[in-house]
Amino acid sequence: MTDVLLDASGVTKRFGGLTAVDDVSFSIPERSIVSIIGPNGAGKTTFFNILTGLYKPTLGRISFQGRNITSGRPDKIMKLGIARTFQNIRLFGTMSALENVMIGQHSRMSAGLFGSILRTPPVRKEERRVREHAAEALEYVGIRKRVHDQLAINLSYGDQRRVEIARALSSDPKLLLLDEPTAGMNPQESDELTALMQRLRDDRGLAILLIEHDMKVIMGVSEHITVLDHGEKIAEGGPEEVRANPQVVEAYLGKQASQETP
Amino acid sequence: MGAAAPVAETPKAELPPGASRLPKGARMGLTVAACAAAIIVPLFFDSGGNVMNNFVLAAAYVVMALGLNIIVGFAGLLDLGYVAFFAIGAYTMGYFGSGFHANAGNGDGIHILVTEPASNLPGIHVNFLIICLLAIAATTVAGMLIGLPTLRLRGDYIAIVTLAFGEIIGRIAINGDEIHFLDTKLTNGRQGITPVDKIDLPGVDRFTSLELRPWFYVALALVFIVLFVNFRLRDSRLGRAWIALREDEVAAASMGIPLVKTKLLAYGTGAAFGGVSGAFLASYLNTVNADQFQFSFSIFVLAMVILGGLGSIWGVVVGAIVLSAINNYLIPDVFNSLPSDIGLDFDLTELSFGIFGFLLVIMMIIRPEGLIPERRRKMELVEDVGSDEGVFEARMP
Amino acid sequence: MTAASLPATQPSAIRAVRAFLSRYGLIIALVALPAYYAVSDLVEDGNLTRIGDNLVDGLSNGSIWALVAIGYTLVYGIIELINFAHGEVFMIGSFVSAGLFGTLGLTAATGTGGLILGLLVTMVVAMIACGTLNVLMEKVAYRPLRSAPKLAPLITAVGFSFILQNVGLLWRGGSPQSIDDLINSQHEVFSIFGVSITNGDLLAVLVTFPLVLLMTQFIAHSRLGKAMRATAQEPDAARLMGINVDTTISLTFLLGGMLAGAGGLIYALFQTTIWYFQGFTAGLIAFTAAVMGGIGNIRGAVLGGLIIGFIQQISDNRIGTEWTPAIVFAYLVLIMVFRPSGLLGEETREAG
Repeated sequence: MTDVLLDASGVTKRFGGLTAVDDVSFSIPERSIVSIIGPNGAGKTTFFNILTGLYKPTLGRISFQGRNITSGRPDKIMKLGIARTFQNIRLFGTMSALENVMIGQHSRMSAGLFGSILRTPPVRKEERRVREHAAEALEYVGIRKRVHDQLAINLSYGDQRRVEIARALSSDPKLLLLDEPTAGMNPQESDELTALMQRLRDDRGLAILLIEHDMKVIMGVSEHITVLDHGEKIAEGGPEEVRANPQVVEAYLGKQASQETP
Repeated sequence: MGAAAPVAETPKAELPPGASRLPKGARMGLTVAACAAAIIVPLFFDSGGNVMNNFVLAAAYVVMALGLNIIVGFAGLLDLGYVAFFAIGAYTMGYFGSGFHANAGNGDGIHILVTEPASNLPGIHVNFLIICLLAIAATTVAGMLIGLPTLRLRGDYIAIVTLAFGEIIGRIAINGDEIHFLDTKLTNGRQGITPVDKIDLPGVDRFTSLELRPWFYVALALVFIVLFVNFRLRDSRLGRAWIALREDEVAAASMGIPLVKTKLLAYGTGAAFGGVSGAFLASYLNTVNADQFQFSFSIFVLAMVILGGLGSIWGVVVGAIVLSAINNYLIPDVFNSLPSDIGLDFDLTELSFGIFGFLLVIMMIIRPEGLIPERRRKMELVEDVGSDEGVFEARMP
Repeated sequence: MTAASLPATQPSAIRAVRAFLSRYGLIIALVALPAYYAVSDLVEDGNLTRIGDNLVDGLSNGSIWALVAIGYTLVYGIIELINFAHGEVFMIGSFVSAGLFGTLGLTAATGTGGLILGLLVTMVVAMIACGTLNVLMEKVAYRPLRSAPKLAPLITAVGFSFILQNVGLLWRGGSPQSIDDLINSQHEVFSIFGVSITNGDLLAVLVTFPLVLLMTQFIAHSRLGKAMRATAQEPDAARLMGINVDTTISLTFLLGGMLAGAGGLIYALFQTTIWYFQGFTAGLIAFTAAVMGGIGNIRGAVLGGLIIGFIQQISDNRIGTEWTPAIVFAYLVLIMVFRPSGLLGEETREAG
C-alpha cells in the first residue's frame, strides 16, 4: 500500500558464542505503527541497536529509504531520519528538559566553532529557532512550559519518558524507534502515549517501530507485529493473528498468557 | 500486565532547578565587580614586587585552567597530560622569539614586526601576537593528534594515554638538545632557551623584567578573551554537544552528535588556550627549559579545574587563583617558616607535594563538585547519580 | 559506562588492514625492536651475546615489573580502578627494605646464612607494610568514592601518590640514594652461550617465580581466591552469594600491595639505588606491562612485565636511559590504539 521505509533482511548478530539476533527480516512501511514483541532477552533491543548503528550486524543488510545503512555510524543514521528512545531512559541529566530536546536537533543545525564564538546573526537566529522548535516538541508531548527549564533528572518519571520522546521528535525524523515507552506508566498515561503515537502517524506522517511488553498497547495500536524469541522471528502478522498463534503463547508461557486481556 | 503501577515520583531536589543560587542581576553585578577589581587592584601594588608577580602567574594559570576545563569539564575527557600544550606553546615562543635558531637568515636573523633590540639580534624574532597565533595553531593540531588515539577508549584509559603523551613530550623536551633538526637542536634541554623576547606591543613602552604590571594587563586581556570564548561556547550548539558527550556518549551519538569531530574539537580548543598561555609564560619567565614540563604540572592544572568545579567557568577561575596563590605565594613565602616556628627542621616547600596531594584527596572526599559547582553538576557528583544508570533504572518497576 | 562502539562504514580493504593491525600490530611492534638489534649484533659482533645480555637483564628487571603489574591488574580487575598510587607503594617497599637493612645490620660483609635470614625477614616486613598501606588507602580513599564517577577515585589516587612521594622525599631526600650491594648482585654465577647470569638475575627470578605461582594457585583454588574472581566478574551476584565484597576487595589490595613490597625489595637489592621518584616511572612502566598483557589477567601481567623489562633493557643499553621512559610510553600508546585488551585479553569486541 505505501512505500517501504526501512527494510532489514537476514540480520544476524553474534557476540562471541551467543547469537543475540538470528536471521531476522523485517520491513516497516511509511506512515505506520509496527511492533516487535517477545520475552525478555529475545533480542529486541539488540535489534534496535543494530538498526541505529550502535552494533554492527554479523550478517544481513538494512536499508532506509532505499539507502544502505548497514553498519552506519549512529549520528549519520540519525541524520538520515531515524530517531530513538531508550529502554532505560538516557536523558542528559545535567541539562534541562529544553536543552535535552535541543540536542535532538544537533544534526539539523549548522553553527560551527567560530560561529558559536562570534554568535553571528545567522547563528543567533538558528539558536532561537531551535529553542522554539524544542519548546514546541515538549508541549506536543504534554510537558508544560514551566517545567521546560527543570533539570532532566528532577522530572518525574513519566515526564522524563516524554522528554525523551520529544528529544527524538525534535529532529523531525521519518522513523521513530520507541523502546518500551510505557514501562512504569499507569494505564491512563499509557493511553495518552498510545494516542500520541497515533497522532504522530496521522498528523506528522511518521512511521513508528515499537518495542513493548504492554499487550494492551501493542494490540491497540499496531498494524503489524513481529514476535522474537531467543533472537529468532517466531511469528508475525496483524494483532489478531499473532495473539492466536500458539507459538507466541508458548513463548510467553506462564508470563503473559494468564494476564492477556481477551 | 493487569495491575496499575503508580508512576514513581522523582523527589525534587532542593536547589532551584536549572538556575544558579543567585538571581540574575546579582550575578551580573558580581561579574562586573570582579572584572573591575581585577583591573584596579593591581594598581595599588608595587609593579616590581612579589605580589604583582603572583598576579601575573595566576592570570596565566587561569587561562590554562579554562582550557583544560573545556576538555575535562565540558567534554568529560580526562586529560592528564595538559603540560604538553604548555610545552608546545612555550617552545613556539622559544623558536620564534629568541636567539635559539642562531643560524637563521644566514646569521642575520629573521625579523617580523619587531622593534629594538630584538630586531637587531640573530635568531628568529617574530611579533608576539603572531607568535600567539602560531602557538594556537601548533597546540590545536597537537591536541587533536593526542586526542586521536583516545577516541575509542574509556575514561581511565584516556587518562593514561594523555599522561603518556605528556611524558613523551616532556622527555623530548629534556633530551631535545641531543636531537639535531635542520641545523639546530630541537630544544635546549634543561639549560633552556634563554633569553626569550619580551612582549612587544605597538604604541606601548617596551616590556621589561622590572615592571611587571604591563605583563599582568596583557595576561588579564588574555583571560578576558578566553572567558568570553568559554561563555559563548558553553551556551552554544557545540557546548551542548560537549556536555551531552560527557553525560552519555552513546545517547549523544544516537542523537546525531558526531563523536570523533566533537571530541577532537574539545581537545583542539582546550589545547589552544594552553598554547597561548605557554607562549606568554615563556616570554614572561624569560626561559623555556625542560624542567618546567613535568607531570606534576598537569595535575596542578587539573586540580585547579576540580577545586573550582568541573565544567564551571567561574569556579575554574577561582580554583586557578586559589591554587596559584597557595603554590607560588602561601607556601614559599607566607607559611614557609611555619615548620621551623614550631621547632621542626625543614621548610614548607619540601612539603608542597604532600600538601597538594592531601588537598586533592580532601577535595574528592568532601566536596567533589568543587567550590563553585557548575549549576548542574552539583546533582551528579553528590547524589550518587550515574549518567546512564542509577536513578533511571531504579525507577523501573 | 560502556565504551561506545561506533562501527564506521569503511571499504573492506581498510577494514582488513585494521583487523590485521589490531591482531598482529602490537606483536610486530614488540618484536621489531629486539629483532633489529639482534640483527645488528650479528652483523657487528658476529654473535648474539649482547642481545642475550639484554634479554637476561631484561627478564630480571621484568620480574620486578611483573610483581608490581600484578597488583595493578588485580585491583583493576576487581573494581575497574587504576590504582595510581601503586607505584609509590612499590617505592615504599624499597625504602622499608633499605631501612631494615640498616636496622638488621645487613651489609655486604654479612655471611650467607645471616643474609638469607635477614632478607627473608625484610621481605616479610616489607610485604606486610606495603600490603597494609594499600589496604589503608583503599579504606580511606577509594571505598567512600565507590559510587562516584570514575574521576573521583582516580584523583584521590593521584593525591595519595603525591603524598607518598613526599614521604619518600622527607625520608631519604631528593636525590637517589645508593645502598649496600648486599647480594653482590653483579657477581656472575654462570654463563650460557657467553651471556652471564648474575646473583641479581637469579635472585629476581627465584623470588618472583614462587610468589607468582603462589598467587595464581591461591586465586585459582582457595575460597578467598574464588571470591575475588567472582567479585571481579559480577559484584552484585557475588554479594547475593554471601561473599563479603568489601573484605574481598580489601584482600585484593592487600595481595597487590604485598607483591609490590616484594618487588620493592628485589629492586633495592638489584639496583642498589633507591629514590623517592622511582615509583612514578616504575608505576607507569608496570602499568604498561599490565595493559600489554591484558588488564585483569595475571599471567598477562607477568608476560607483560617480562616483555617490558626486555624492551626497557634494550632501550637503556642501546638508545640511552634518558629515552627509555619515552619509548615505553610510546609502546603504551601503541597498545591502547591497536589492542587495548592486551596480548592475553579478549579481542576487543563491540559494546554489548
